[in-house]
Amino acid sequence: MIEVEGLTKRFVDRDAVSDVSFFVPEGEVLGFLGPNGAGKTTTMRMITGFLPATAGKIRVAGLDVERDPLGVRARIGYLPENVALYPEMRVEEYLRFRAAVEGIPRGEVKARVDEACDRCMVGDVRRQLAGTLSKGYRQRVGLAAALIHKPPVLILDEPTVGLDPRQIVKIRELITELGREHTVILSTHILPEVEQVCRRVLIIDGGKLVADGTPEQLRSGFSGAAEINVELEAPEAEARAALEVLPGASNVRNEGSGRFRLAVDGGADLRREVFKLAVAKGWVLLGMAQTVPSLEDVFLRLTTHDAEVGQEAQLEEVASA
Amino acid sequence: MRKLFALVQRELLAYFSSPLAYVVLTAFLFINGYVFYLIVAFLNDPRTQAMAPLKLLFGGTIFFWLYLLFVVPVITMRLLAEERRTGTLEVLLTSPVSEGQVVAGKFIAAFVFYLFLWLPTWVYVWILASNAKIDFGPVWAGYLGIALLGLLFLSVGLLTSALVRNQIIAAILAFAVLVIVFSLGLVENLASGAAVKGALGYMNLWNHMDDFAKGIVDTRHIVYNLSLTGLFLFLATKALEASKGR
Repeated sequence: MIEVEGLTKRFVDRDAVSDVSFFVPEGEVLGFLGPNGAGKTTTMRMITGFLPATAGKIRVAGLDVERDPLGVRARIGYLPENVALYPEMRVEEYLRFRAAVEGIPRGEVKARVDEACDRCMVGDVRRQLAGTLSKGYRQRVGLAAALIHKPPVLILDEPTVGLDPRQIVKIRELITELGREHTVILSTHILPEVEQVCRRVLIIDGGKLVADGTPEQLRSGFSGAAEINVELEAPEAEARAALEVLPGASNVRNEGSGRFRLAVDGGADLRREVFKLAVAKGWVLLGMAQTVPSLEDVFLRLTTHDAEVGQEAQLEEVASA
Repeated sequence: MRKLFALVQRELLAYFSSPLAYVVLTAFLFINGYVFYLIVAFLNDPRTQAMAPLKLLFGGTIFFWLYLLFVVPVITMRLLAEERRTGTLEVLLTSPVSEGQVVAGKFIAAFVFYLFLWLPTWVYVWILASNAKIDFGPVWAGYLGIALLGLLFLSVGLLTSALVRNQIIAAILAFAVLVIVFSLGLVENLASGAAVKGALGYMNLWNHMDDFAKGIVDTRHIVYNLSLTGLFLFLATKALEASKGR
């Protein structure tokens, strides 16, 4: 549904996005992760055609963004990062305006506006001026406007920012539901959100794609991240030495009062070996737990190495906004 | 066509829901009323030779020009600069409307508002018509001249609004360009060569209005205004296309 090939965006002195390629099949909900200033918004803006690409190709529903910008725009519903509404318009007026601009036949406008209001839970502010809405309502009105023409592709830039926890749950449910009829790209900082909503995740950092896969793939493809916490009643030095020689164990740390932490390479499960070791030595095993790397670990590992670049980029993004 | 209509409608709503519209309208009527009073007083003086009173109202005084040069930038400054500043432009230009349609919609709305400003001046026509016999030919020609002038000035304002994100800067830029466009023709008398004189004379907006107010509908004036309007609107569209995402 969305094909991105060698996408590059060069601002004056740096590449905001460099050589990013990915493909989103129809009906997929794709999570787009990355630290601030990593190039998420820039990439999304290029897909919508709002920002011209320096190099690379983007096709949406088979249409080239550069050759047929209006065709692409008609097939995309876009919720920008900063939802901007016209303050002097009432919510309903705004939705009607957006419906007209999207070319919805006059007779269907009312039904579409009603439906969008229902779905995004903004029915109670229909008569309110957009300028007086709270952040959460603005966000939802923006979402209602983005899906008023039932576009095959939805691009949502941080859709749950500024919502209260109950609304966040509702919006996530809505996005999951939308994923059944639409292809969705969703950018966010919130990692649990991605695990709940997205079937596939892209991680972008410093303008480069650093990971692409399902949340499970990303976690398991990440060798050496699993850890075991062991609590033993045993002579500390001896226990430590014994743990260190277990196959696959590394970086054994004694955390005091019989607690040890050891990293496990290659995703192997060492709990059996630890148990057998304790039995053989006659030590008492008080507790043991294995921690699997969360998506957060993967994300942090992939994106922390050049946090400074990220911050610079963020400053520039603010300056150019 | 329906999209264009929606754009125009939204823009008109924005005009009439802001205090700006009423401030501009009030100031406009105040100044025009004062000028009308001066004209009537002047013509009532027995020493004045007979002339068409509305000729003075339509571009015959410096008030007319000063006011137009000020008020048109105020009408147009918001149009695109504000949308860029608040970010609504991003939504608009990711909708299936072309940059040309956006520019056309804003321009039409601004022109409708401009015509609306002039609507109450028909009161003066009515006052004069009820007290004296007036020739309606020059009146219609005068309003045609005002409409054409409005098209040209508004297109300049729309262009500068497309270039920057700050309304005030857009207004100042528009004012500067309009002063140049307006004064180009005024230096006609300073020019020496016949060709230069002729060219500058062609661009003399004061003379254009003078002709219209006399009832002379000269197609050269119409062509001049419309072609410049087209040029500025084209540039505004290109500026909008080039500055997307910034």
